[in-house]
Amino acid sequence: MTQTAIHGHVLIVEDNEADVFLIQDAIATKKLPVSVDVVKDGEQAVRYFDRADADADAPCPNLVILDINLPKKQGGEVLKHMRRSLRCGSALVIAVSTSDSPRDREQMKELGANGYFHKPSEYAGFMQLGDIVKGLLAAGTPATESSSS
Amino acid sequence: MTAAGAKALTAFVAGGHVENSVIREMVEALPVAIYTTDAEGRLTYFNAAAVKLSGRVPELGTDRWCVTWKIFLPDGTLLPHDQCPMAIALKGAEVPTGIECIAERPDGSRFWFTPCPAVVRDAEGRIIGGINLLMDITDRKNAEIEASEQFRAIIETTPECVKIVAPDGTLLFMNAPGLGMVGASSAEAVIGKNVYDLIAAEDRDRFREFNERICRGEKSSLEFDIVGLTGVRRQMETHAAPLRHVDGTTVQLAITRDITDRKQGDRAALLLTAIVDSSDDAIISKDLNGVITSWNKSAERMFGYTAAEAIGQAVTLLIPPGRLDEEPKILARLRSGERVDHFETIRRRKDGALLELSLTISPVRDAQGAVIGASKIARDISERKLAGRSALLLSAIVDSSDDAIISKDLNGVITSWNESAERMFGYTAAEAIGRPVTMLIPPDRLDEEPKILARLRRGERVDHFETVRRRKDGTLLDISLTISPVRDAQDAVIGASKIARDISESKRVRAALLESEARFRQLADTMPQIVWTARPDGCVDYYNERWYAFTGFSQDAFGDASWEAILHPEDLQKTQENYYAAIKAGQPYNIEYRLMDRAENRWRWFVGRAVPVRDAGGAIVKWFGTCTDIDEQKRVQDDLRRANEDLEQFAFSSTHDLQEPLRSIKIYSELLATRYGDTVNEEAQKFVTFVREGATRMEMLVRDLLTYTQVTKFEPPRETADANEALNNALANLAGAISESGAKISAEPLPSLPVHGTHLQQVFQNLIGNAIKYRSPERQPIVNVGVKRQGAHWEFAVSDNGIGIDPAYKENIFGLFKRLHTSDEYSGTGIGLAICQRIVDRYHGRIWVESESGQGSTFRFTLPV
Repeated sequence: MTQTAIHGHVLIVEDNEADVFLIQDAIATKKLPVSVDVVKDGEQAVRYFDRADADADAPCPNLVILDINLPKKQGGEVLKHMRRSLRCGSALVIAVSTSDSPRDREQMKELGANGYFHKPSEYAGFMQLGDIVKGLLAAGTPATESSSS
Repeated sequence: MTAAGAKALTAFVAGGHVENSVIREMVEALPVAIYTTDAEGRLTYFNAAAVKLSGRVPELGTDRWCVTWKIFLPDGTLLPHDQCPMAIALKGAEVPTGIECIAERPDGSRFWFTPCPAVVRDAEGRIIGGINLLMDITDRKNAEIEASEQFRAIIETTPECVKIVAPDGTLLFMNAPGLGMVGASSAEAVIGKNVYDLIAAEDRDRFREFNERICRGEKSSLEFDIVGLTGVRRQMETHAAPLRHVDGTTVQLAITRDITDRKQGDRAALLLTAIVDSSDDAIISKDLNGVITSWNKSAERMFGYTAAEAIGQAVTLLIPPGRLDEEPKILARLRSGERVDHFETIRRRKDGALLELSLTISPVRDAQGAVIGASKIARDISERKLAGRSALLLSAIVDSSDDAIISKDLNGVITSWNESAERMFGYTAAEAIGRPVTMLIPPDRLDEEPKILARLRRGERVDHFETVRRRKDGTLLDISLTISPVRDAQDAVIGASKIARDISESKRVRAALLESEARFRQLADTMPQIVWTARPDGCVDYYNERWYAFTGFSQDAFGDASWEAILHPEDLQKTQENYYAAIKAGQPYNIEYRLMDRAENRWRWFVGRAVPVRDAGGAIVKWFGTCTDIDEQKRVQDDLRRANEDLEQFAFSSTHDLQEPLRSIKIYSELLATRYGDTVNEEAQKFVTFVREGATRMEMLVRDLLTYTQVTKFEPPRETADANEALNNALANLAGAISESGAKISAEPLPSLPVHGTHLQQVFQNLIGNAIKYRSPERQPIVNVGVKRQGAHWEFAVSDNGIGIDPAYKENIFGLFKRLHTSDEYSGTGIGLAICQRIVDRYHGRIWVESESGQGSTFRFTLPV
């Protein structure tokens, strides 16, 4: 599959700016033809989806990178809300977290996350997120779970 | 006041001054306080009586509404002058008549009065002034109050229930005796509630109908039963009258008497009649003239006369002509209050046949004790001769008795001697009969016999007299004696029968029991615990002193309910269930509960234990229990558990939270080095390296700490874990270190055991990881994992050929953050062995190290089989 076939809009839901930078870096290094929006907490994310439903011209992501631990509304709730959205309900979702707990993985999977990324503490490891995004967008189907540690 | 008078007064007021001196003089002289005001209520005139009544000289033109100093309503609340009846009238409102007020004079004295305000209007109907008459009603009020006080005194001192009931059954008033009858501890318990609830269910409708009748204005009385608040049934007789209540309704005023005792008396009389009628003896009563006044069924049978025939006849009707002299003698004895006992004589039936009778005749007295007649019980003894037959039977009984049965005459000479007497005293009947009974009495007790004989001669019986007697062989015997007088046919005492029971054994047992009980109580009272005993059915029959000191209960409070009262409500059901289940099963029990500490007025935790005490046959004869105060222990345990939980929760969440910023520090210091390393000087590069190393170490610490805290969240494993698999997983995680160090790892075949696989893996991983980390630089690291069975557990051993541990530090190394090396020499967090220790602890195992410095180490740990 060629890169020109990949089009998309990515929404990053992440409160930690340091991680936002790394996620953007991971996408940028793969030179994916996608536009990226960033929201900083759960409520903003919910509003983002609501606006997409209310306004056909508003952007709607086909991939969401969703931190589990968010201010105001947790990642799980955001995911539940998104799955009920008319326009964005079928977007691909990669849950990201510092936690490596099996319970978190299990819960996000049950809520319909397509991938789970355990944030590593090395730069190179973090950049693997780009591969996962690329793979998911190319296939349009859930990727296997991935973790760098 | 007449119409003309009113008109004159109106003119007098309207003028505001005195035009008519006749009226003025008349008003001045009136013994009623009168004053007038203008339309604004300012005083324009008052008479001398107003000054006298109010106790002050009002100021004309300044004082408003009233001449009085202060006004109060009957309930004692202050009535401001601008709200007084005169003020209300002047504001054009209707003033109800007959209002009663209290006024206070400046000197503090008070008087009751009734105001009669009226307004004066001009031709257009405008209010131009007012006039008020104050009627002094103090005397009347005082008389009323006195009367009501008297009334109250009567109500409260009468022993009858006085109550007032509303038409709907609401109890409006009840005096103290009434409260007592219905079992109410205070008036609040019943006043304002429905009185019908206190009436017995079957009488409730009748009482309701009665109450409604009274409230319609009737006077009536009623007998009914009450059950009160406590369910105790009593019979009542009430006399009720309608009473006009303050609110205008008609209510029931009733005086009610408790007639339970009287009713029971009636019943007793009925019962007595039934007994009299069912008696086989003829029971007859007569007056002092010998006229028959009652005649029972048996009298009909015995004499052949019906009650109708006999009553009213002279009792001589029954006496054969030859014995007519008996009656005057009997009557004479009765008049003097004497009783005639078992007088054997002959009487005649209606058909003329003669009867042999035994008569017992008692005087009948009136309530003042005067003899007014006699009751006569006649027993047919014609067949008494048949009794001889039963003597044989009696003798058989006497001989088969375990008790010694002896008879003696009034001189104390033995006249009969049964087989048990032979056994007990060692004398044969032949040896004993004819000899004085004193031969059985030890010398120091010889004075007993004359006393016993004296009592017997008086016809008295000696019951269960415990004494000591002497056997033929001289040994002493504890016995219990019961001695009854023996009478001849004429009722004269001619001797005594004596039943002697050997109580040596029971006396010994009782003494031993008393002694052991006394010892037990002494012991129990010195114990710091509460000690109790209970009957086999669980009913508590003893507490030691500590119980009474703790509860403040009185010493006679026993039984089931005695402990329930101070048990914490939340523990009550559980404790009862446990206790009675244990009693039922006959099993010891052990339960924790809270009891109320009277001294500190708070609950204290106790552990209650009880064990059954069984007799030789295994039957439970008693329960023995203790309550031990574990409050302090419990509190410390609770505090400790809470503190531990808090700490672990804190450690868990803080390690999680710590990870996130650490990750950023690590990655960004890495980025700083890779992207900008070339642009900064060597020192700056070194600093960045320190930051990265510090962050890496911190990250390890946090991860290990997290693992350590998670070991606490322990649940017993549901299945066994294969130790070989756990070891392989550990080795897989250590693959990097193993290949890097070139270590050689070997293992014996390992068992499966009841632990969590991840825990075992963690221990292996830490121990083997350490073995590789602390390897000797001089040789290839070799690690061996072994196991052997040691009784109820497996003892694992992880041996290496590394640098070893100085024996001085053998104990230290398992502590949290304990390290023997700087991080320059060996990296590490000082948590690994603490985790191992903690895991092994969870399974009640042990971990220790055997090592010589430089000679390698062997870590051993035990886990359950």
